[in-house]
Amino acid sequence: MSSTLRQQLGNLAGLGVALVAFMFYAVYLSPTQGWTFFFQLSVNGIILGSLYGLIALGYTMVYGILKLLNFAHGDVYMIGAFIGFGVLTLLGGPLNPAIPVALLVVCMFVVAMVGSGFLGLAIERFAYRPLRDAPRIAPLISALGVAFFLENSALLLFGSKFRSYDGFDLISYNGIYLGGTNGVFVQYLGVIVIVGAVLLMLALLGLVRWTRLGKAMRAVSFDREGAAMMGIDPDRVIAATFFIGSALAGAAGVMFGLLFSQIYHLMGFLAGLKGFTAAVVGGIGSIPGAMLGGLLVGLIESWAKGYLSGNVSDLVVFGILIGVMLVRPSGLLGTPALQKV
Amino acid sequence: MRKFVVAALLAAGVAALASAALGSTKSPARVSSAASAVVNCGSTRTIGVAAPITGPASFIGQQQLRWSKYYVKNWNAQKANRKQKIKIIQGDTQLGVDTAFAVRVAKSFASNSKVLGVVGPAGSQEVVASTSAYKGGKLAFVSGSASRTTLTDGHTDGNRRGYFYRVVPNDSIQAPTVANFITKKLKVKRVYIIDDQETYSQGLANGVQTRLKAKGVSVTRNSISQNDTDFSSVIAKIPNSTQIIYIPWQLAPQAQTFGQQLRGAGKGRIKLFGSDGLFAPGQWKITGSYDSFFPVNSADKVVKAYAKAHKGDGEYFGAPSYVATQVVVGAITKACKDGKATRAEVRKLVAKTKLKNSILGLPVSFKAGGDLKGGGFGIYQIQSNGSFKRIG
Repeated sequence: MSSTLRQQLGNLAGLGVALVAFMFYAVYLSPTQGWTFFFQLSVNGIILGSLYGLIALGYTMVYGILKLLNFAHGDVYMIGAFIGFGVLTLLGGPLNPAIPVALLVVCMFVVAMVGSGFLGLAIERFAYRPLRDAPRIAPLISALGVAFFLENSALLLFGSKFRSYDGFDLISYNGIYLGGTNGVFVQYLGVIVIVGAVLLMLALLGLVRWTRLGKAMRAVSFDREGAAMMGIDPDRVIAATFFIGSALAGAAGVMFGLLFSQIYHLMGFLAGLKGFTAAVVGGIGSIPGAMLGGLLVGLIESWAKGYLSGNVSDLVVFGILIGVMLVRPSGLLGTPALQKV
Repeated sequence: MRKFVVAALLAAGVAALASAALGSTKSPARVSSAASAVVNCGSTRTIGVAAPITGPASFIGQQQLRWSKYYVKNWNAQKANRKQKIKIIQGDTQLGVDTAFAVRVAKSFASNSKVLGVVGPAGSQEVVASTSAYKGGKLAFVSGSASRTTLTDGHTDGNRRGYFYRVVPNDSIQAPTVANFITKKLKVKRVYIIDDQETYSQGLANGVQTRLKAKGVSVTRNSISQNDTDFSSVIAKIPNSTQIIYIPWQLAPQAQTFGQQLRGAGKGRIKLFGSDGLFAPGQWKITGSYDSFFPVNSADKVVKAYAKAHKGDGEYFGAPSYVATQVVVGAITKACKDGKATRAEVRKLVAKTKLKNSILGLPVSFKAGGDLKGGGFGIYQIQSNGSFKRIG
């Protein structure tokens, strides 16, 4: 067993102990609400965390391959949500869909993912590729510029109004009760989000592990120049990475719209920040780490809102980020960076 | 040689930027001269509109700007005004980001001698922050939404008497109206109050909470943030026995999402009660919910025409900005009768405003502190077709 794997298992064991300890503490803290309340909050947190995880995947892929923090990623997610809304509107809207709902939802996902993917390609081509050999601060500033550009373009294109998916009306207000009618309630929409996020993550893992493109991605991530000498075109691989990461953000945007209904031009900022936090907590560069980080951020946010107050949820989330960074600077499933000398 | 050319171009660029910056510096001397300038009214009179045009509250600011522009467009189109035009200069205050933006806007208006009066700003915190800039520029500023009670008491949040006016009733009227309706009409005993952590929201929530508790109502308090979209955890905390959830928020789409999630969590039976910030037919449409709102006469032909011109959306929250623009333009027009005007004249004339009718459905004139005379709040209920029906 390698020392990295040992460390990751140790991190997971520590996390598990902390979660179990918190579970008992939380139920003790809120005796009138009990276990049902705890599990309800946990389900809510997992649904939210699945979204954060999907966003985090984009951050982690781009960082893994380029060592670039793509701060425009949250805004690609916002554009994905708007593309999904456009498809929804074109096909009759939530109250009067022109085609079967299942097909409509699939169309929204496909178009949003493809549209966001191409947007990611364009961003990479025009904002990052020319700066490939520039000092590391240059693409970072360019990323911030792209973020503001996208936000304000969306403001001009779509206006400042919130747009409503009305996802509950489109799909259903219903759900399933776990543990009887007084038990934990999981909406069908929540189930769609969790299942969708897990499937997308598994597909991505499969792509990275077992396809030629995945191998090329790993090679470019490990040593760009070396990969180029072996006949891999790093530009194409990087472009593909941006396409896939952005497509995942687009899917997350549609999921967000369905679940939380309202989308607007600034929605990407905080979600992007949370996704970034998730990627860092999970270990930036690690795909399972991004998903784990997302779930963790979602759970902590949900518990903080439930047991403490909405006032302090972000304080707790980002406080824990600082704590994790102090104890495990490379994140829960990240690998310590080795410096070539 | 090439380096020399680049260096020369850079130097020229820096020099140009520096001179432009110097030219636009809002020095006290420039503000002072603008403040006391006698303006030749000519054919174009200029007003400033300070609103959150971008940023998290742009939803509100864009409405206000559109209503202001709507008034100016109609005014400019009138035959009687064919020789004189009103021009709007916009200032983006980015409410919810940093009040420094509002101060910057106020300073730019104050130093621009062409600006004779200002509509806005939107938020009470912006009014507090930018008062000294407006006072320094001797400008009247008329807000269409800043409702914090203490803005006009002359001491708590500073003194802006003679400069600041508002065309909406203040919160000291709204909170008792809501509390009375809950206790006397709805006769409920268990209320859950959720503020959105903003000054406006907390002030109203505190006011209603105090009054409800005094009348023996059981009140539980919680908070969300204006950035929140996932309310599932907050909703999980709300006891099933709750009868009313009071949400004095500013973003109607957020209330809509909250209502949908509440129903999705199996608690749709609990009624929501919003404040003036949520009066947005078409945006907040949870049937049966209550809302308190300052008067806007939806039957008024101007309001109807505005809604028709905006795809049926009346954008009622922005409607008072139409009246604020009407007040400022009216004062400037009177001041310009002799062809010249000063800001001091405009301020005096704003204070003397007497509009017999307005789209608010009431006459408009001001108390000495700048508050609207006679404004009150009504209680509305959302109908199944999404319209707001007045019920109290």
